[in-house]
Amino acid sequence: MREGRSKMSERILEDKGLVVRHSVLELFEHWAIALSGLILILTGLFQMPIANRYYINELPGLAWSADYIVSLKVHYGASIVFVAMSFFHVFYHGILGDRGMLPRKGDMKQSIEVVKTFFGKGEEPPFHKYLPEQRLAYLGMAVIIGGLIISGLMKTYKNLIDPQMSEALTLLATWAHNIFFVLFIIAFIGHMAAIILKPNRPMVRGIFTGRVRLDYARRRHPLWISEIVDHPVTAEDQPESEADTIVETADPEEHEITEEEASEDKEKEEPRQ
Amino acid sequence: MQRSRTMSSRYVPKVSRRSFLAASAGLAASGLGLPRVSYGLQPRGLASIIDLTLCDGCPGKDMPACVAACRNLYQKTVPDPVDPIPRLYPRGMIEDWSKKKQIYDRLTPYNFIFVETAEVEYRGNKSTLFIPRRCMHCDNPACATICPFAANHKMKNGAVVINDNLCVGGAKCRAVCPWAIPQRQSGVGVYLYVMPTLAGNGVMYKCNLCHDLLMEDKIPACMDACPAGAMVIGPREEILADARGRAEHINGFIYGIGENGGTSTIYISPVPFDIIDKAIPQGPGLPHFKPAKRRMAEASVLETLVMGSPLVGIAAGVAGAFSILSRRKGNEGGTE
Repeated sequence: MREGRSKMSERILEDKGLVVRHSVLELFEHWAIALSGLILILTGLFQMPIANRYYINELPGLAWSADYIVSLKVHYGASIVFVAMSFFHVFYHGILGDRGMLPRKGDMKQSIEVVKTFFGKGEEPPFHKYLPEQRLAYLGMAVIIGGLIISGLMKTYKNLIDPQMSEALTLLATWAHNIFFVLFIIAFIGHMAAIILKPNRPMVRGIFTGRVRLDYARRRHPLWISEIVDHPVTAEDQPESEADTIVETADPEEHEITEEEASEDKEKEEPRQ
Repeated sequence: MQRSRTMSSRYVPKVSRRSFLAASAGLAASGLGLPRVSYGLQPRGLASIIDLTLCDGCPGKDMPACVAACRNLYQKTVPDPVDPIPRLYPRGMIEDWSKKKQIYDRLTPYNFIFVETAEVEYRGNKSTLFIPRRCMHCDNPACATICPFAANHKMKNGAVVINDNLCVGGAKCRAVCPWAIPQRQSGVGVYLYVMPTLAGNGVMYKCNLCHDLLMEDKIPACMDACPAGAMVIGPREEILADARGRAEHINGFIYGIGENGGTSTIYISPVPFDIIDKAIPQGPGLPHFKPAKRRMAEASVLETLVMGSPLVGIAAGVAGAFSILSRRKGNEGGTE
């Protein structure tokens, strides 16, 4: 997110006890990439000779999985969405200067501390909108997706235009695609595994509805809440689709937060104008 | 398959194996330093003709000369499998030709070319055709295009070559080949070092157009051995012209120019190929002579859209972002 100013979509819905974490557009980006990515994983696996060997093609609705040309066409179809949306994501948020998901200095060290808290060692520090390990994971996923897209486009170019592309380049593109494919599956499993951790579960509703519980956000993401409170979004700023919601500042007395967090919040909060 | 349109009274081939050899040898011997005909590094690739009017099946020989030459060159290069060959989970299927190396009347991992016999009747005339069969070396071969490990590659000279150090024997190439050319030998290759019961099943083998010989400016062993000169190889455009000329000369038929989107192997026959197809044995390792559609062409539109998808994403992202920025600027201006 832009430094010192919350994103237009982010605001507190005091009466509902929720805070808007993701805009409709961001949800659309996430799910377009996630669902097309899942189809790409599945059809990518079907590009290996496994569907017939492991009876997958005998499962109801998966008879097509053993036909390499059909599964390749599905792979291409999903990659159109995946590639277009990935480029959209980079250019849209890049131009708007959204940097909330990019790693910051000290994220690696802080991530280790946070992971320790999952095993009962120490306490979590106050978080911004994203956890430090989320920012690192985002960068990792971006590199993997970037590698998949570049190598995938090279392979597509070869298939469509230049079947006699140099052997070295073909090997590079193919093996890079395979390696990033494996990394993508591992990253996806890691992404899902994060939900298993109890402290992260309140964030799950956010990726479905765009909103998370306000008490959770105040307790775990006080730095983010402070940014929203410090820089409230006016009705004029808001997208038309969500302009009916109310912007309210947080009142630390009304919510359960630690003394440390409250004092930190108090320093940053300004009274509503 | 296509029919030549006219018949000329006399046909003089523009290209033949012998003329190429003569040209190469003559120029080399003359020491004039003129460019030799290069078989290995033709930038536009090579193509070959198999002329069924010339192939006689090598009567009197134990096996046709082309088959013998090929086996002599390659049979020893296919390793013997480990014993026992790992059983595949869960299907348990393996393909072991190592104890059937003597077979030469079909394609096997130890036999990359065979000559089939077709007793045919066309326009009231009965005749016997002898037909060498091997990989067609397609122009845009699906077997190479969708190999998940890039173990199969279409070389610049036109040869489609399987790298047996990379192949794990999944037989995907055979599944997408219209003629099911590549043949699997289980129990050999790199898959043995990973998870042999769970992934991979050996190595796929097929004709590589003697790629190594081509790179040395030598012609493939089968063509070199053919006593009838029934097979020639040369620069693609000249070979295609030669093929059309030969077909016209006999008012005959061509197979291979348009099949599977185009191949580098052109058959010339006095008999239509649908008649030949009905007269040859059918089954695994026995390629047909039916029309062959290039199935990968079905994906061309999607491939084009994939190539264009970055531009769509960039255009939408830039347009969306500047729309937000201009709205933001407008709001700030209004506030002031």
